[in-house]
Amino acid sequence: MTRFLIFHSLFCLSISCNQYRYMQKIPSDESCIEKLKPDFHHVVYKTSVDVIGKHISGLLVVKHMPDNSTRVVFTNEMGLSYFDFGFPPDSGFKVYSIIPQMNKEGLVRTLRKDFELLQFRNMDNSKSYALKASGLIYHAYPQAEGANYYITDSNCRQLVKMQRASAKKPVMEAVIFGDSRNISPDSISIRHFNISHFSITLKQITSPAAQ
Amino acid sequence: MIKTVSLVCFILCFINSNGQYPGFTLLNNPETFKKSFALATATTESIQSDFKQEKSLSMLSENINSSGKFWYRKKDKIRMEYIQPYSYIMILNGGKIFIKEGQKENKISANSNKIFRQVNRILIDCIGGSMLENPDFQSRILESSGTFLVELTPVTKNLKDLYKNINILIDKKDYTATSIEMFELSGDKTIIRFQNKILNEPINDPVFNIP
Repeated sequence: MTRFLIFHSLFCLSISCNQYRYMQKIPSDESCIEKLKPDFHHVVYKTSVDVIGKHISGLLVVKHMPDNSTRVVFTNEMGLSYFDFGFPPDSGFKVYSIIPQMNKEGLVRTLRKDFELLQFRNMDNSKSYALKASGLIYHAYPQAEGANYYITDSNCRQLVKMQRASAKKPVMEAVIFGDSRNISPDSISIRHFNISHFSITLKQITSPAAQ
Repeated sequence: MIKTVSLVCFILCFINSNGQYPGFTLLNNPETFKKSFALATATTESIQSDFKQEKSLSMLSENINSSGKFWYRKKDKIRMEYIQPYSYIMILNGGKIFIKEGQKENKISANSNKIFRQVNRILIDCIGGSMLENPDFQSRILESSGTFLVELTPVTKNLKDLYKNINILIDKKDYTATSIEMFELSGDKTIIRFQNKILNEPINDPVFNIP
């Protein structure tokens, strides 16, 4: 009986840990994600970051540059720049500047992956696949570690959420509020599961004062 | 004759201007300024003003403008209330910092965060007139016809990692700061300009209250 309970518990644990394994695999539709892709051409977000009991806030500027790269700059309200990241056109990543307090390898790697997910980068269609579960389609794009999932409704009318995942489970989830199709989303909420209480909220500043 | 006049003009220009700050010359006797400045700041009990802030992201050719209201009361009380394009209130009172960001309130002990403590001391020093006594900086004083320019260059590692230098422009009429310019290592800069200043009007305690 004890052996059965242990076996049963491990079986249940393996199922609950691997959230994608038992989803139904379906043919992938590349055009679906392409039409829901947001456009971060030039946008300023009021930004709040909560991580392990600490709170920082400021402004996040996302700007498409003439060389087709995208720059992501985070400053505090009084103007001090926390970081300035560059994303070249196809792949790669460059840290232009970062304050020493944030210059931790793990944090930079996490932020890089988060912004790559939001920008729909590293999407190799030759490796992509789709999964179906609970009326949602999980459009999967394998990464060096795990995969990025863009989750839509079954008719591909709405981007419900995005996930960065390890081989078994999501490590981060981002939700876009409002329309995302070819425009800068109005607001975005990011929640990490592998780092306790690490969340980021972005709210677009629409005032003409932010130019 | 023309050559002589040109040479004289060139020499005069060289003597009377500073390459880095056109129109400003280095004070030969800063002690006179320090005495007059100390005398003037000793009689300044409070300042109320509007402010406009301009953050320039050099590489992105991007300016972020904001504006709001400012209150200072001797010796260590400051309230900065950003109104446009976002709502953000920062109160410095003694060793405590209170932040209200939208509906979110956050209390920070300045003593628990070295960077916050140093950056906030800069603000209080610049407004209160004690910046020349701050051991975190070495200073140079320059002047133009209507303005003194106090150039502060960080000497401590923490601040050297953040700022190239911080300049305070001081009105010769009343010895109050007209603007604070913060130059970062990346080439980005933030300028806070104080306008419509009211000196020595009583400011009620609740303005600086930290709930």
